[in-house]
Amino acid sequence: MKAIRLVVILAIMAVILYPLVWMLGTSFKGQQEILSNAGVFPEDFSPGNYPEGWNHLDVNFGRFFLNSTLVAVAVVIGNAVSCLLAAYAFARLRFRGRGMWFAVMIGTLLLPGHVLIVPQFIVFRELGLVGGEFPYLPLIVPHFLATEAFFVFLMVQFMRGIPRELDEAAKIDGCSSFGVFRNVILPLSRPALVTTAIFSFIWTWNDFFRQLVYVSDLEKYTVPVALRLFIDSQGQSAVGPMFAMSVLSLLPVFLFFVAFQRMLVEGINTSGLKG
Amino acid sequence: MSGTSRRRLLSAAVAAALLVPLAACGDDGGESPSVDSTKPVELSIFWWGGDARAKLTEDALALYTKKHPNVTFKKTWQANQGYFEKLATLTAGNEAPDIFQIDDNYLTEYASRNVTLDLSPYQKSGKLDTTKFPESLWKYGVVEEKLAAVAFGENTQGLVYNKTKLEAAGQPLPTQGMSWEDFISWAEKASTAAKVPGTQDPSADYKAFWVWLRQQNKDLYKGKELGFATEDVVKWFELWKGARDRKATPTADVIREGNATDITKQLVVTGKALTSWVWVNQLPELQKNTKDQLGVMSYPGDPKAQWARASMYFSVYRGSDKKDVAVDVINFLANDPEAGKVLGTDRGLPSNLDIRSAVAASVTDPAMKTSIEIENTLGKTFGPSPQVPLKGHSTLRSELIKAAESVQAGKASPQQAAEAFVAAVKTAISK
Amino acid sequence: MALTTTERPTRHLARPPAKRRAGRGTRREGVAGYLFLSPWLLGLMAITAAPMLMSLVLSFTNYDILSEWSELKFIGFDNYQRMFTEDPTFWHSVQVTVLYAVVATPLKLAAALGVALLLSRNMFGVGLFRGLFYLPSLLGGSVALGIVWFTMFNRDGSFNSFLGLFGIEGEGWVNNPDYALSTLILLAVWQFGAPMVIFLAGLKQVPQELYEAAAVDGAGAIRRFFSITLPMLSPVIFFNLVLETIHGFQGFTSAFVISGGTGGPVDSTLMYTLYLYIKGFTDYEMGYASALAWVFLAAVGLLTVVLFTTGRFWVHYADGDDR
Repeated sequence: MKAIRLVVILAIMAVILYPLVWMLGTSFKGQQEILSNAGVFPEDFSPGNYPEGWNHLDVNFGRFFLNSTLVAVAVVIGNAVSCLLAAYAFARLRFRGRGMWFAVMIGTLLLPGHVLIVPQFIVFRELGLVGGEFPYLPLIVPHFLATEAFFVFLMVQFMRGIPRELDEAAKIDGCSSFGVFRNVILPLSRPALVTTAIFSFIWTWNDFFRQLVYVSDLEKYTVPVALRLFIDSQGQSAVGPMFAMSVLSLLPVFLFFVAFQRMLVEGINTSGLKG
Repeated sequence: MSGTSRRRLLSAAVAAALLVPLAACGDDGGESPSVDSTKPVELSIFWWGGDARAKLTEDALALYTKKHPNVTFKKTWQANQGYFEKLATLTAGNEAPDIFQIDDNYLTEYASRNVTLDLSPYQKSGKLDTTKFPESLWKYGVVEEKLAAVAFGENTQGLVYNKTKLEAAGQPLPTQGMSWEDFISWAEKASTAAKVPGTQDPSADYKAFWVWLRQQNKDLYKGKELGFATEDVVKWFELWKGARDRKATPTADVIREGNATDITKQLVVTGKALTSWVWVNQLPELQKNTKDQLGVMSYPGDPKAQWARASMYFSVYRGSDKKDVAVDVINFLANDPEAGKVLGTDRGLPSNLDIRSAVAASVTDPAMKTSIEIENTLGKTFGPSPQVPLKGHSTLRSELIKAAESVQAGKASPQQAAEAFVAAVKTAISK
Repeated sequence: MALTTTERPTRHLARPPAKRRAGRGTRREGVAGYLFLSPWLLGLMAITAAPMLMSLVLSFTNYDILSEWSELKFIGFDNYQRMFTEDPTFWHSVQVTVLYAVVATPLKLAAALGVALLLSRNMFGVGLFRGLFYLPSLLGGSVALGIVWFTMFNRDGSFNSFLGLFGIEGEGWVNNPDYALSTLILLAVWQFGAPMVIFLAGLKQVPQELYEAAAVDGAGAIRRFFSITLPMLSPVIFFNLVLETIHGFQGFTSAFVISGGTGGPVDSTLMYTLYLYIKGFTDYEMGYASALAWVFLAAVGLLTVVLFTTGRFWVHYADGDDR
C-alpha cells in the first residue's frame, strides 16, 4: 500500500517537474544555445550564467533578494495579524451588520484589479505613501489593514471548522470574547495562519506589477522587477543569466515553504490546547 | 507636498468621493528654475532599455552634472515590458517624470492629450538646437504642429539575412532594390536549397506593410484618416499567401513565433528562417544571439519608400516645474560632442550629424559598423518621412497581427481578414 | 480544558440549521465584533472602497488615463451599451473565459485534492514532496515561465519530442489558434499548488479522534473518506471552489505570459481580464475598461451568490451555525 502510494507520487512528480528541470538545464546553457537547443541538457555546460546574472546590474542581486524579503516578511506579519482579527469577528462574533460586511468583503475579491491601479495610485499618493526613501509603504500598509479578503475568507472557513463547544467551555471558565480568541481560536487557527503566511510570502515574492509601479530606484528594486531588467524585448537580452537568477529566486520561497509546511504536518489536536 | 497627514487623509476622501483628485492640475505656469541658477535642482528621468543603455545614459547625465553641479538626476529605468503602463499611471497621478523616453507608437497618444510639453518655443529661441539634425528626423517629432519630442536616434527598416547558411547552400544573397515578387522567388529557391524556409512571412508586420504601401504611393495614415483601403490590405495578404503556398516561408505556427518583436525570437536568430524583418540598428544585438554571420539590406522594392525614423525620443512632461532645465538637459544629450560619444548608437544613429560622423569613425564592433554603414547608404535614398502615427497606432499594429495570423492559420480569407482589419482600425483612430 | 469532540460528524450534520443563535448576540459581543473588525473596516474605508467607487464612477466616463481630469466627460451608460451591442470582441472574450474557467477550475481542484490526499499522511520525505509539488506555483507568472511554456509547446519543443516517441507528429501548440487555449488550461492545472496547500491544511484540522472512533466502529477506508473526510473538509472545499472559480474567471497572468500580452494567436487566448487590460492600458480607454470590470463583478458576483446558496446544502460547519 505504502509502496503503491510512493510510486504514484513519484510518477506524477516526474511529469510535473519536467518543465522545472528544463528550466534548470537551460540556466546552464549559453545565450546562443538557449535559442537553438530546446532539449533539457546543455550541450555546452556553462555555469557562468550564475555569477554573470548575480553581478549583471550595477547593484548585485543579493540586494534585490534583501528588498524582496523585507517586503514579503512585512506582508506576512500584516496579513496574519489583521486578517485573523477580522476573520474572528466574521466567524464567531454576532453583531449587527455582520452579513452585510461579509458580503462586502467577498465583493472586494471580485473586481478585476487592473482598473484599480490608477485610482489606488492616486489614493496612496494622497495618503502620502508614494515615493520617498522607503517606497514600499503602498505595498505593505494595506496588508496591515486586512485588505486581502482572500485570507480573511480563508480564515473564516477554517475557524468555522472549530467546534463551538470549545468557545462555550471557555466562556463558562470566564473567558471574554478576547479570551476565547486568545485561548481557543488562536492556537487552533495554526493551519490557517501557516497557509496565510506561505501564500503571503510567495505572492509578494512574485508580484511584479505593483512593485514596478511604486518602486523607481534600482537599489530599491525587488526580485521580480529586477528579473525583468534582463530582457528588453527591443534590445539586448540576457536570457541565460535571467534563467539562472529565476532558478535562484525560487530557492528562498522553496525553503520558506518547506520550513513552514512542517507545521501543517503536526496535527493540531495534540498541541496548543493545554491552557 | 505640504500639510498634515490628517489633511491629506481628508483631501483623499474628498477627492475620491468627488472624483476631482487634487493630483490633477498639470498647469503650464509656475515658477521654473532657470538653467543658470545655482539653486539645487533634482530632475527625474525615466527610460526603458537594458543595463548597457542604463550605464551609457547615466554616464552622459553625469557629464551634465559635472558642468552644472547644482543639477542632479533621479534616474529610473526598466525593461520595455510595463514601461508605458507605469508611465501612464504616474501621469494620471501627476507624478510623471520631468523627462521621459517615448517612441512613435505612443507619441501621439501622449502629445495629443497634452502630456508632453510643446518644445517649439525652445527650438525657435535656440535653447533647443536641432539645426544639425536631418530635417525629416526632427519633424518626425511634430504632432499637431507642436514639437512634442526630440528624436534620439535614427533608424530604418532592415532585412536581415543569414549569410553563412545561404553561402553554405550555394545561394546568392538577396540584392538591394529587388522587387517583392523577385524576393519571394529568391526565398523559394533558397528554401529548397538550404532546407530552411527562405523568409519570415512579414504580413503581420506593420513596418513591412508600411514600406510596401509607400511603394504603391499609399501610406499608413493621411491626415486623420487611413492612407490605404481594404483592397491594398487584400493585395498584401494575397502576396504573402502566395509566398506561403510556394513554401518560401515557414508554417503558420512558426511564423507566429517570429511575429513577436523580441530580438531573441526572430527566426533568423533561432534558425527557423533565412531572413527576418527588423530595424537596422537591431543588427548588433541579433548578431550576438547567433553563431552564423548575418547581413542586412533594405526591404524589397524601391528603397526610397524608407525614411529616417526616429527610433526613440525624449519628451518633457508638461506638468514639470523644472521645464527649462529639463529642455537644457535634452539639448545637452543631443548636441554635446562628449555626451554624444558616450551615448553612441545605443538608441539608434545619433540625430546630430556631426556627432554621428564622429561616432561612426570610432566604432569598432563589426556588426555595429555594418548597421551604421547600411544606414548611411540608405540615408542617401531616404524619401520624406511620413507623419507620426495617429492615436490608436498600437491598435493598428495588434489588429494587423491578428488579421494576418487569421489568414496564415486558414481561419479567414485575405478578403475577410482585410475587411475586419480596416473596420477595427477605423474605429480605433476615430475615437 | 481538553478536546472532547468524539461525537460522530454525521450527528453534527444532522443538527437542524442553527438559526437560533443568529442575531441574538449580546451588546458586549457587538462591541467586540466591531473592535476585531476595525482594522479591516479602516482598510476598507481608506484603501479599498475609494478606488472601487472611483472605478465605478469612471465607468460612466470617457476616462483615458492621460488627459487632464478637467477633460473628463460623463457619457452615461454608453460604455455599457457599447459592450453589449457594438463590441464583438467583448463577447468573444466572454466565450474564451467561460470555456477556460469551466474546464480548468474542476481539473485544478481535482488535481489539488488528489495530491493533497496522497501527501496528507506523515511519511518519509513528505515535506520535500509537498515542496516539489508546490514548485510550479512558485513560478507565478514570471518571465522565465513564459519562455519555458512557449518553448515546450512549440513545434520543436519537448512536448512534441515526447509525442514523437509514439510516432505522433505534433503541432506548434502555443501558436495554433485551435490549441493555444489548451496549453493555457494545462498551465493553470499544473499550478495547482495553492488549493493543494489549503486542502492539506484542512485535512490537518480533521480531528484524529474521529477516525479512531470510526475505526472502532469498523468503518473501512472508503467509508471513512465519505463520512468523515469529505464532510469535515467541506468548508475548505467550499472555499477552494469559490476562490478558484473567481480566480478562473479572472485568469490573466497565464494568458498574458503565454500570448505576450496580446491574447493571440487570433484572440484565442483573449481572456476577459486581458481584454480589459488591453482596453485600459494599450488603447487608453480606461472608462470602458472600468465598465468591463463592473460587468465582470456583477456576473461573477451572481455566480458567487449561487455558490453560497448551494453551499448551504453540502457544506457542514463544525460550529453548527449553518448560515
